[in-house]
Amino acid sequence: MFVVLLVLGIGSDLAQAQSASETHPDWTGYYTLAGRADLASAGLKQDAPGEELNNLIIPHLQPWAKARMEATDGIADDTGQVCLPDGIFRYPSMAGRFLWLQERGRIVMVFDNINTAGVRRIYLDAPHPKNPVPSWNGHSIGRWEGDTLLVDTVGFNDKSWLFGGMEPHTEEAHLMERVRRPGNGAFMEISITVEDREALTSAYSYKRYYKKQPDSAEMAEDVCNEDPATWKQYRDKALKRQMDRARQVK
Amino acid sequence: MTKLAAFLAVALCAPLSRAQSPDLEGVYQSIPDGMTLPGGRKNAGSPAAIQLLPAAAEQAKAIDLKQDPWKMCQPVGPFRMMAKEQTKIELVPVSAKIVMLFEDLSHGMQRTIYLKRGHPAKLEPNWLGDSVGRWEGDTLVVDTIGFNDQTWLNEEGAQHSDALHLVERIRPVLGGQYLEYKIAAEDPKTLAKPYSYTRYYKKVDGEVMDDPCQDE
Repeated sequence: MFVVLLVLGIGSDLAQAQSASETHPDWTGYYTLAGRADLASAGLKQDAPGEELNNLIIPHLQPWAKARMEATDGIADDTGQVCLPDGIFRYPSMAGRFLWLQERGRIVMVFDNINTAGVRRIYLDAPHPKNPVPSWNGHSIGRWEGDTLLVDTVGFNDKSWLFGGMEPHTEEAHLMERVRRPGNGAFMEISITVEDREALTSAYSYKRYYKKQPDSAEMAEDVCNEDPATWKQYRDKALKRQMDRARQVK
Repeated sequence: MTKLAAFLAVALCAPLSRAQSPDLEGVYQSIPDGMTLPGGRKNAGSPAAIQLLPAAAEQAKAIDLKQDPWKMCQPVGPFRMMAKEQTKIELVPVSAKIVMLFEDLSHGMQRTIYLKRGHPAKLEPNWLGDSVGRWEGDTLVVDTIGFNDQTWLNEEGAQHSDALHLVERIRPVLGGQYLEYKIAAEDPKTLAKPYSYTRYYKKVDGEVMDDPCQDE
């Protein structure tokens, strides 16, 4: 009888654990920005890929924000040039490679370029703090709606840019994401909406797709400080090109 | 009866074997040096106490301390990072690996400890090396090799070579409220003898705030 009760007790624990894991899909894995060919085979495509994202954002800037963008010397003012954080608006949309780690009560996104993109922690079924300390990546909370994860992020500092054209945002920036995995789990789709009543005339939205890498794939170490001079040279070149083009956008 | 016995063996042993590997998930912060925990547990040793071979000692004397990776917001490597007072780490165990994150992300970066593979035959040297782990009872044993020569072993400028080999032993103590962390370093090219130190990390509540180097 004791043995039966013991077995039933263990069975109950197992059932509880299984039930918890069945409630929400586990998307743990390594993801990289999906290429055009991979997406085409699934009938998907990136919205405003690469630098085209500037064209999508700029028409939403308030006049002061557009003026600031045009007056900004990105090469000097861009923290990412010197291996400091860029915030999360830029790197994930341009070249994102990240580990998606699901824990009890939270999801952790670890970017390979940790110096500039850092780590995001999405607290599940929890409220934002009343007065979050402004930070580069803000404060993220999430909740599941069926097989879609809804993520809400506030509490940004105003030190980062919305994208490489040096589009500013304020501490009022509000990021809303809907995350799901189309293509039978081959891709992670993040539908992104950004609003900022102080810097934008209206919200803008776009989608990014990331490809789930095989379980055997490992995210490589990426230390931008390894060779700061070369890194800055590379960023200077890429950023100047982007800023020049962004300033042509009306 | 045999079938029942087999069923019970499976039903009972599966949870027990899982229980042997403790769940290390959580946020931990190193306790101050000088603090003593129940059972006389306290931090012991320090990277400053390593003994260098003569050539390595000469090299350290000649080095410009302004080039310290710590001062340049570069990764400092596990041997140095884990000894720092107030270091806050987050352990995220998922499937076949444990990811170690640091609140001081510029100096600590992120480490991935692979549980189901050995070191690759060919390793590309990097700042944090290649880490593989295995469980010995309730202790996670982490073996790391494959370092580049960019990090220092201490703030006195002690260099290491590409032969640096770290073995960390991590286990929960005091009912899981603390981690006991022991690290041993050997490097036959620079260290006169292997050296180890011990730190205790307290499990803490709350959120980890990224603390990039520029805010210092």
